[in-house]
Amino acid sequence: MLAAEFRAVVRSWIDDQDDALLHDRWQDGGVDVLLTRQRRIQRKLFDAGLMRWGWPERVGGLGGSTVLRAVLGEELTGRGLVHTATWSMHEVLGPAVIEYGEPSVVGEVFPRLLRGDEFWCQGFSEPDAGSDLGSLRATARRAGDTWVLNGEKLWTSFAHHASRCVVLARTGEPGSGSRGISAFLVDMDTPGIEVRPLRTMADVDEFCSIAFTDVAVPGDRLLGVPEGGWRVAQHVLSCERGPIFWQRGAWLAYHLGRLIGTARDGRSLALIGEAYQLLWAFRARSMGTQRQIAGGTLPGHEASVDKIMIAAADQALFDAARELLGGGMEIGDSPESAAWRREWAYSRAATIYGGTSEIQKDIVSLRLLGLPRGG
Amino acid sequence: MMDAAELTMLASTLGQLAQSYDGAQLTKALDDFGFAEVLQVAPQVAVPALFEAMGRTGSTSAALQDVLALPLAGTAASGEAQAVLLPPIGGELAGSLVAETVTVRGLFLGQRSAPACFVAPVSSAGQTAWVRLPDTAALTVRPVAGLDPELGLAEVTGSVPADAVLTGEAAGQAWRGVAAAGRRALGYQMLGAASRMIELATEHARTRVQFGRPVGSFQAVRHRLADAFVAREGAAAALGLSWEAGDEELAAMLAKSLAGRAAKITATHCQQVLAGLGFTSEHPFHRYLARALVLDRLLGSAAGLPAEIGALLAAAGRIPRLAEL
Repeated sequence: MLAAEFRAVVRSWIDDQDDALLHDRWQDGGVDVLLTRQRRIQRKLFDAGLMRWGWPERVGGLGGSTVLRAVLGEELTGRGLVHTATWSMHEVLGPAVIEYGEPSVVGEVFPRLLRGDEFWCQGFSEPDAGSDLGSLRATARRAGDTWVLNGEKLWTSFAHHASRCVVLARTGEPGSGSRGISAFLVDMDTPGIEVRPLRTMADVDEFCSIAFTDVAVPGDRLLGVPEGGWRVAQHVLSCERGPIFWQRGAWLAYHLGRLIGTARDGRSLALIGEAYQLLWAFRARSMGTQRQIAGGTLPGHEASVDKIMIAAADQALFDAARELLGGGMEIGDSPESAAWRREWAYSRAATIYGGTSEIQKDIVSLRLLGLPRGG
Repeated sequence: MMDAAELTMLASTLGQLAQSYDGAQLTKALDDFGFAEVLQVAPQVAVPALFEAMGRTGSTSAALQDVLALPLAGTAASGEAQAVLLPPIGGELAGSLVAETVTVRGLFLGQRSAPACFVAPVSSAGQTAWVRLPDTAALTVRPVAGLDPELGLAEVTGSVPADAVLTGEAAGQAWRGVAAAGRRALGYQMLGAASRMIELATEHARTRVQFGRPVGSFQAVRHRLADAFVAREGAAAALGLSWEAGDEELAAMLAKSLAGRAAKITATHCQQVLAGLGFTSEHPFHRYLARALVLDRLLGSAAGLPAEIGALLAAAGRIPRLAEL
């Protein structure tokens, strides 16, 4: 199916829904509401076939270009129907699990993710391993046919709603760096897992800490090969820096659209124009990246440019919103004001999550500009 | 139609010409090559190749006039041996027409041998009209030295009798087309200048040793160059996609604004990285800086265009995607 054709189908499908959940209700943005709505929308989209385009047939998809997934995400987030924070889970984790997972396991669990029956989370960061991911300390010890997992993960988004977690753990010697890491797909209901939500400054229970104590992980839940976790992680990060930014851009454009009526003077118009031009520059950049992905090449170091651009556009947009709302964000008590507060606060994380802007600038300067590594 | 290999060859030839020649010589080389003709066939290849190369090498030519003339083709404002006047810095149009007298205040970039006449977009009773000014001797043409004497910019002023040659919606449409074409070309030229500034600063950061190591190994220095590179990449992408965008006028404004923004960010960071060396007259940096600062001022600057873009969006009442996957 062609992107334009698919877009038309998705649009008319959305227009035809009379379900209240499919109407724009962006201000009720608590995590429970968001996830309930997404679950319902995903199920309907799956049943209509729309959720399945762009995914391989062997895992419940209908095949076709990955561009179709970008189109679906763009149409949904571009109308505020789903939140980019939660619509990203299958896009970020799905491709790597499909690529590296045991086919029988993937065939069983991935369709559930696609259908919205379950959500997944990403157990990478730890209290002492954020930007320096290669120094992570969670361990997995082989015991016969299973692996025994111990350690702590931090900043794991939606772990308290997740059925499964992609976990990176050290299977090599301590100090083996990125070489001694393996990746696992862990069921969150396994005994020994304790999830503690952390409230964000946006007053949302989004991310969590997860404690693993002697958690038994079946051997067929290893992703890839032992000590091959770094490749899996790179695959996940590559997806994080590619397809999901496209829909984040659509989400930002949707918010800019909500501000357009507030423009009163030259200064407001300039704020809107500046936010729009950064979004457009990102869109132009990301268009090339999406086409590259559709051609079968995962984004490499160049995608750090996309990440820096979208994060900057994100914060510029919500800073502009704050000014254009003329104090509504700071002192308004309406649900709409609360939603702008949440979104503004969430935008502050844009330069942190998925690899900080500093890490991205390191990649740009070392890999793309060829500057020497420092001490 | 040209095939892919021919287009690649075209781009490479134009790049080489801009590198080998400058000023009147480059104009002659482009005329001999038939730039105005290839512009009609493949503008999306010819404009980027030539103007980015001119920006990168610092060369000048009259090619902008060919670019500005193209959207006028087939209208009453087109003609042989004429040059298009651009609005002055900060101005919307190049003058005003009242009672068959036009008061001109505009800028002229892209000197061929003295043009037989100027054409100018001017305001007339609140609308855009095009006037032809055959008596160039009656106008004051001041060659602009200013910050970038090598650019060959001239300021044209004066009051002369004139009739509108193109009026109404056709005149407005012609002007929007000319402005869009000009913005894109100038955007590519600034992009080329930004690219060259980044190359100069990156090379310096790799080789200049302080505290026993290349200064480019310090993160504070590296991150400045990364910021410059990212701004440049954004402008390059916006310029590239402007050829596919649904709204040419808006896409060209965005591209010009982003190119000006990228040139400013690049100049700031590269100047700092080049430090004392970049402050000298013998180092080429200042020429790219000057070129970028002056080009930014033509047809709307990075400081002014965002408000114009915002006004277009507010008038439309929506946020256009401009290009789809």
